[in-house]
Amino acid sequence: MKKIWVIIQKEVLDNLRDTRSWTTGVFWALFGPLILGGMIMLLGNTIREGTEALVLPVAGAEHAPNLIAFLEQQDVVIKPAPEDPQAAVIAGDINVALIIPVGYGENFSGGETASVQLVFDSTRQSAMMDISRAYDLLEGYGSYIGLLRLSLRGVSPEVLHVIQVEEVDTATPQSQALIFLSMLPYFIIFVIFNGASPVITDATAGERERGSLEPLLINPLPRGWVAIGKMISAMPFATFNLLITLVGFAAIFRFLPIEKLLGVQIGLDIGALTSVFLICLPIVILACAIQTLIASFSKTTKEAGTYLPFIGLIPSLPGLALAFLPVKSDLWTMLIPTFGQQILINQFLRTEPISGMNILISAVVTILLSVVITFIAIKLYEGERIIMG
Amino acid sequence: MIEVQGLSKSFGKVQAVKGVSFSARDGQITGLLGPNGAGKSTTLRMLYTLLKPDDGSAQIDGFDVRQNPIEVQKRIGVLADARGLYPRLTSRENIRYYGRLHGMEGEALEKQISSLVTLLDMQSIADRKTEGFSTGEKLKVAIARTLVHNPQNVLLDEPTNGLDVMSTRAMRQFVLRLREEGKCVLFTSQVMQEVAALCDQIVIISQGSVSANGSPDDLRKQTGKENLEDAFVAAIGSEEGLMQ
Repeated sequence: MKKIWVIIQKEVLDNLRDTRSWTTGVFWALFGPLILGGMIMLLGNTIREGTEALVLPVAGAEHAPNLIAFLEQQDVVIKPAPEDPQAAVIAGDINVALIIPVGYGENFSGGETASVQLVFDSTRQSAMMDISRAYDLLEGYGSYIGLLRLSLRGVSPEVLHVIQVEEVDTATPQSQALIFLSMLPYFIIFVIFNGASPVITDATAGERERGSLEPLLINPLPRGWVAIGKMISAMPFATFNLLITLVGFAAIFRFLPIEKLLGVQIGLDIGALTSVFLICLPIVILACAIQTLIASFSKTTKEAGTYLPFIGLIPSLPGLALAFLPVKSDLWTMLIPTFGQQILINQFLRTEPISGMNILISAVVTILLSVVITFIAIKLYEGERIIMG
Repeated sequence: MIEVQGLSKSFGKVQAVKGVSFSARDGQITGLLGPNGAGKSTTLRMLYTLLKPDDGSAQIDGFDVRQNPIEVQKRIGVLADARGLYPRLTSRENIRYYGRLHGMEGEALEKQISSLVTLLDMQSIADRKTEGFSTGEKLKVAIARTLVHNPQNVLLDEPTNGLDVMSTRAMRQFVLRLREEGKCVLFTSQVMQEVAALCDQIVIISQGSVSANGSPDDLRKQTGKENLEDAFVAAIGSEEGLMQ
């Protein structure tokens, strides 16, 4: 067994000297936090705009003084619209514009439906906040006047209110920001695979390519130990990448003015990060096992290099989906390695109550799968194909 | 001491080795001679446990290659056809890795490495990373790595292949030195002159089986030829391997 340690020591030293490989890995590890930070800054700006006063360019304000007065009462800043409101919206100069036609006053006074035009581009995500506010205000004004008219004619306004919808939003103030956080598991898992792949590529396909595998296998130790030693030697690199990523995320949440940008505080403290780190350790084992297996039958480093880092994409994809589709932490989800962990990470970030049983089950299942994969890899190492490629 | 009985190996439909038998004694140099593709390397690969024989058996110092591969591996030093080094490790680190995989460590290992460095005259390259070494320099590291555990049986697969004249000479001196130390040396070659100059026993292999076996004198007698070259041609039935 001591010889496994000899292999680990050699592989770690050898790969540490391959500075270019592992520094590239560190760059990828920081990629996730940088992207997330960038997105928070960008989208944070949009969200914050929502809390500022709505600036509404209006054409023909003189036709509807009451409406304008109502809007101004609701803290809307009325500005004269540009010459061609539609062109201005298309050009992106303004988010939304209100056009009040000449006939408005006449229709309004006559008790008929008076129309106004709201000009906007519904595909522009950043303008959505302004658009919906303007729309809601206009609707609000319409129903307010409508109710007044009914009252004047002696009809109870409740006749119109067949259903009253009361909104019970369970989202905490943090929920909005948590949409960003849901992408975190995706980055984390990808980075783990990415950290292990150069080491494993070099230790298996690389050995064969430079002709050092055959002499290595003549040394007096079971070939399975060689496979295990190589697999374990990739773990520190994968773990290091995982740490870098988590520290990166921690730094983003610590030093970006999240509260100012998103209007909420994110509770990602050292304790939560440590838990996430521990939850991910079984994935490190799995990542190294899967990649050892695949590298053992790829013919060249080039071949291994084309798909090893991307193997991580497959298990991390559900994480991306989790950002949009909430999944409950049912038992079945814990039985799927990497998927269970992604849900657990999300729960940690949402500071939801977490069942210790779920953590245990997902860890045990992941490790069991790793053992099975390692066993297959060992069998491959014991065959003759490993030498011939 | 290496004993081989009826060793056979096929790759798919191609039968590479068909019932090869011979023995190689301690203190002797045994040469496996034959043209390209005759089955020399495959035979050697089965002896050093890399390939499993389909049929037949082989023992090294009494240990069967199939039953007891680890015991066999402890007793052999192999310079395989593939002799790749780790380019990011120094010569000394490359040698030390193999020493440790043979269970050596500490003072004893370092002393053995130093004596090999002196013996192979590689002081100037001992602590340099092996990236960019010349063929001769790489070979020296590979030989040192092969012998770090002082094996009783030394298997060399075409050791002079690709070497210049001086390195070839040095290699031959080295093989003779191993014989003086009482080792059992088995090497393959396709160069008749080299085998004739070094070997106590010659095993001629062609098309996967042994076509002649014995000392150079025996071979001359067996084939009825005065000249060893003619004997070789008579044994394998072609002139391949003579012109180098």
